[in-house]
Amino acid sequence: MDGAKVREFFCKIIREDEDVSVGVAAIRTLMEIIKHSKSETVQELETNLKDGINVMKNTDYPVAAINSGCELFLRFITLAALDTRCFSDCKKIMLDRGHLFIKKLDEARGKIVRLASKFIEDGSKVLTHSRSRVVLQTLRKAHKQNKRFEVFVTISAPDNSGKQMCKELQAEGIPCTLILDSAVGYIMEQVHFIMVGAEGVVESGGIVNKVGSYTMAVCAKEMKKPFYVLTESFKFSRLFPLGQQDLPEEYKFKSSVRKSSDLKKVHPLVDYTPPAYITLLFTDLGILTPSAPLSTYKNIIWKSIMNMTPIQDVLIMDH
Amino acid sequence: MDKMKSKASTDGSTKKEKKNKRKQSKDSQDDVKPISNEVSCEDNKNELVDEKNDSTKNDATAQKLSEKELRRLEWEKKLQSQKGDKEVTTISNTKTTQQQKQLSEKELRKLEWEKKLQEQKAGDTANSALSKAELKAKRREQQEAQRQAKLAAEKAKKPPSTTPTKDTAKEVSKVEKKTVPKKETKKIIDLHRVQLVQHLYAEMPQKQDSKLLVYNNIHPAFVKLGSQYLNKTILGSNARTLALMAALKRLIYDIQTPPKQELCRYLENVLQTCTNFLQNCRPFAVSMVNALRNFKLHSTQIDTNLIDSEKKARLQDIIDVYINDDIYKAGDAISLKVNEKISDGDVILIYGCSSLLKKILVDAHKDGKKFKVIVADCRPLLEGKEMLRRLVVAGIKCTYIFLNGASYVMNSVTKVLLGAHALLTNGYVMSRIGTAQIALVAKAYNKPVLVCCETYKFSERVQTDSFVYNEIGDPDLLSKTPGTEDPSPLSKWKENNKLTPLNLLYDVTPPDFVTAVVTEIAILPCTSVPVVLRINAIDTT
Repeated sequence: MDGAKVREFFCKIIREDEDVSVGVAAIRTLMEIIKHSKSETVQELETNLKDGINVMKNTDYPVAAINSGCELFLRFITLAALDTRCFSDCKKIMLDRGHLFIKKLDEARGKIVRLASKFIEDGSKVLTHSRSRVVLQTLRKAHKQNKRFEVFVTISAPDNSGKQMCKELQAEGIPCTLILDSAVGYIMEQVHFIMVGAEGVVESGGIVNKVGSYTMAVCAKEMKKPFYVLTESFKFSRLFPLGQQDLPEEYKFKSSVRKSSDLKKVHPLVDYTPPAYITLLFTDLGILTPSAPLSTYKNIIWKSIMNMTPIQDVLIMDH
Repeated sequence: MDKMKSKASTDGSTKKEKKNKRKQSKDSQDDVKPISNEVSCEDNKNELVDEKNDSTKNDATAQKLSEKELRRLEWEKKLQSQKGDKEVTTISNTKTTQQQKQLSEKELRKLEWEKKLQEQKAGDTANSALSKAELKAKRREQQEAQRQAKLAAEKAKKPPSTTPTKDTAKEVSKVEKKTVPKKETKKIIDLHRVQLVQHLYAEMPQKQDSKLLVYNNIHPAFVKLGSQYLNKTILGSNARTLALMAALKRLIYDIQTPPKQELCRYLENVLQTCTNFLQNCRPFAVSMVNALRNFKLHSTQIDTNLIDSEKKARLQDIIDVYINDDIYKAGDAISLKVNEKISDGDVILIYGCSSLLKKILVDAHKDGKKFKVIVADCRPLLEGKEMLRRLVVAGIKCTYIFLNGASYVMNSVTKVLLGAHALLTNGYVMSRIGTAQIALVAKAYNKPVLVCCETYKFSERVQTDSFVYNEIGDPDLLSKTPGTEDPSPLSKWKENNKLTPLNLLYDVTPPDFVTAVVTEIAILPCTSVPVVLRINAIDTT
């Protein structure tokens, strides 16, 4: 598959299926590359995949999610190569495992929703930022459980994704108020807790998310409101930012912007929220505190895939 | 001095009486700290009893020793009492030549070394410009100590039970009365101990430590290493570990297996005595313990059917691989990782001297990054000067400050890099004293703090304060001000009972103050130490 095709396929998945997150779309694209690849060696396949990843990174979708998803998948591919002698066998195993992998990822969101919806109680007021599929599904689920609650959504400039979130919630019949980004402090004293998604979870236990999340977290900490993050475990990435300046440029800016102008004058898309401001992380591995060593959990995911055992079992084994 | 005597005489009296007396006395200082005085008296008693116990133990072991060894020990004691007096030692040389003939060659070498060491020490004490009176006092102190030990030994022989009953307590007080000057010196030493860290003094090696002379069959490489540890000529946990490994290699090279024994088993025994000796010179660093553990683990896995030369080669290999992988390559990996975080225009604050930090900064400089370094330093060791010298030689722009100026510069700092002595399981960082302060100030100014530490310095220990486990350095260092001619006003602290300098070597930094730990595996939050320990445990088993 050449670059243009990869790009097209990747964008098509995201456009067609509203519920698919960018990371999963990236992994699906990689699977497609393996399927159509004419390469005869693992080495060549790997270079093909890496080219594909680069193409995807150059689209205008958030790089954080693409990066962590692909990173996980690539490691998994190199591990699979060690098990077999013949390349065709290897390719078959890769595809099989890939499907299993995607299946697990699809299940992940359901698990998170189940865990997080318990935290929404009757009469609570929830503040959320921008648009997150996981948060949306959690709120839906809670609504279906006949819980009465109110949601505040920030408009979330520059792409105003909050507007869409608000529309979707109202369509479900959940009382929802759109607020200004600058009104976070104003609204903070009346909400009970904050629930946001994440583009990526970094090794410190902090998150990388739509710009404005950090402001919200700092504000919540000061007002002593719990700050909950809902995220799939495949979003864990091997990055350790020391601060906002230390975030990679590709995370902060769209590829089209990166190539051009003076980056100092461009608005960043994401910011980094340090673990100190996060109360809990809801993942498919369970509810974690941000100080929990995330690297272990990453290992656990791997073990669970390689041994084909349910994740819960591995978790029990490891503790 | 009068006060001391009175205290000694009131030892037997009850606490009530003491309190009354103190109330009557108009000495205001005494009233300020009545509790500490009482405690020190009681401690004295305890220690005397302890001494007795010890002496009985010594007796038991002494019986086991052969006559020859006994004679040797006696001779050593004599030699020790004559320390600091070169003339007398030369006389004893002529005296002991006949004895020496009887001794084996090995022992001869050891004795020679001891003599040299003592001469050195004598030279040292002379250099430190002690007055004649002080020298005399010291000699007297030593002689008294010996006399006391003999007395105690005789006493211990008579009563079979060693439990501290009332009778023995009385006897102890009798002994005290007989040897009043001894008691005074002893008390002065005790008075200059900080109650809070009383337990640490036991491990503190004294320069005139008789414990060190008891060991024999120590390989010269280890003897040299021991004296280097004792005199702090080798500092820093990396340097200490490398030196230990080098000595170990030398030992393996020289070792000759006695007939009907297996090399590795024999080596284990020899190594044990050597490490015991080193422990007495200075307590081991965590890195050294880990390195030794790794060596021992691998040495047990060597095929016993090999011939000795092959085994030796393998053992040397183990050490080489460890040094290369866990120290040098780990350092390279850490340097790469930290360099990703150093960007142009950075102002980096470092504290003290660390070989790893030097490597990181020099590498970053070679990469063409434009940054400034602020070296914070602290008395008494002033290691920062050495660090400053190395960095300036490498061509890095540096500023030198003292620890008390940290908050002044912190505003302009962008990153703080710190070395570590050990990383504890609860995420606390153990490092040279003052590190916690730097981290605290950095935290207050919201500056990222990176601790650079190889994983071989990770420890299974848990510690939340600096007092439970620490090392006590030479308290004299605190009263010396380098670079000034005038004697420090603190220089006569030994004569003042109310003044106790405490020179702790390490402190622990809570994980809250540390942004990340950079290891060769990854950049981790402090709290991930147990994870790394678990991974390492899996690797080695």
